[in-house]
Amino acid sequence: MTIHLLLLVLLSQIFLVAGQLLLKHGMSYTQHATAPFGRVVCEVLAGVCMLTLWFFSWMALLQQLDLSQVYPFEGMSPVLLVIAATVILGERQSRRSRVGVGLIALGTVLVGIS
Amino acid sequence: MNYEANAPKDTDRSETLARGVHPKGLLNPYLQLAVNGLLVTASELLLKRGATATTQVSGSPWLDSLGITTLGSGWVWAGIASGIAGLVSWLYVLRWVPLSIAFPLASVVHVLIPLGSWFFLGETMSLLRWCGITLVMTGIWCLANPLMRAEEAL
Repeated sequence: MTIHLLLLVLLSQIFLVAGQLLLKHGMSYTQHATAPFGRVVCEVLAGVCMLTLWFFSWMALLQQLDLSQVYPFEGMSPVLLVIAATVILGERQSRRSRVGVGLIALGTVLVGIS
Repeated sequence: MNYEANAPKDTDRSETLARGVHPKGLLNPYLQLAVNGLLVTASELLLKRGATATTQVSGSPWLDSLGITTLGSGWVWAGIASGIAGLVSWLYVLRWVPLSIAFPLASVVHVLIPLGSWFFLGETMSLLRWCGITLVMTGIWCLANPLMRAEEAL
């Protein structure tokens, strides 16, 4: 795997994580009685844009690699996302949940390479 | 939604969320998370069926590589509709459920899609794939079991 492909993998994961964080942050406003409607729409749209970029970078990867080579990175995304949600959104999880996320990641990799 | 009737009007809803209060019944966010998994799976299977049905019909390699010819298939349009409905249910889930819980739970599609491809599209299942499915399900159980207990306690 070349440096160029590795960068593309990294970029694709950044798009996915950033997109999901934006969607969550935007939708969290709607829990409050007075949701700032404009901000909700802006953040959700920005999130959808990020996920669109993620989709195209994912397709670009699939053009150059086999699905079984790309899929292990798909397994990485729940782990990266939980870390990002903890650091950036301040979410907390139990140790049991973290073990669960690890198992899910490992299982996803196995499903992918099989 | 009766949770609003119970809560004082100007209470911050994130406080009620912290107490585990969220809409019940069809609007239960965890039910919607399951609905999201089914919609995403249906979308992928429909897109695959549509893409297979329309393989290289235009004769132009350019059009074929763009995938635009697949839009001639009703399966593909059903897949797109299902995908959009999936996004709407996902946004609703994110309104109530922490991202670090919702996103890993959404990995249930890595179980449903192989099972669906096996059952509906006749794809093969290896032992390794069954192992992966078992691992993902165990992980989901680790995340979901404490949540279900909390639901029961309410």
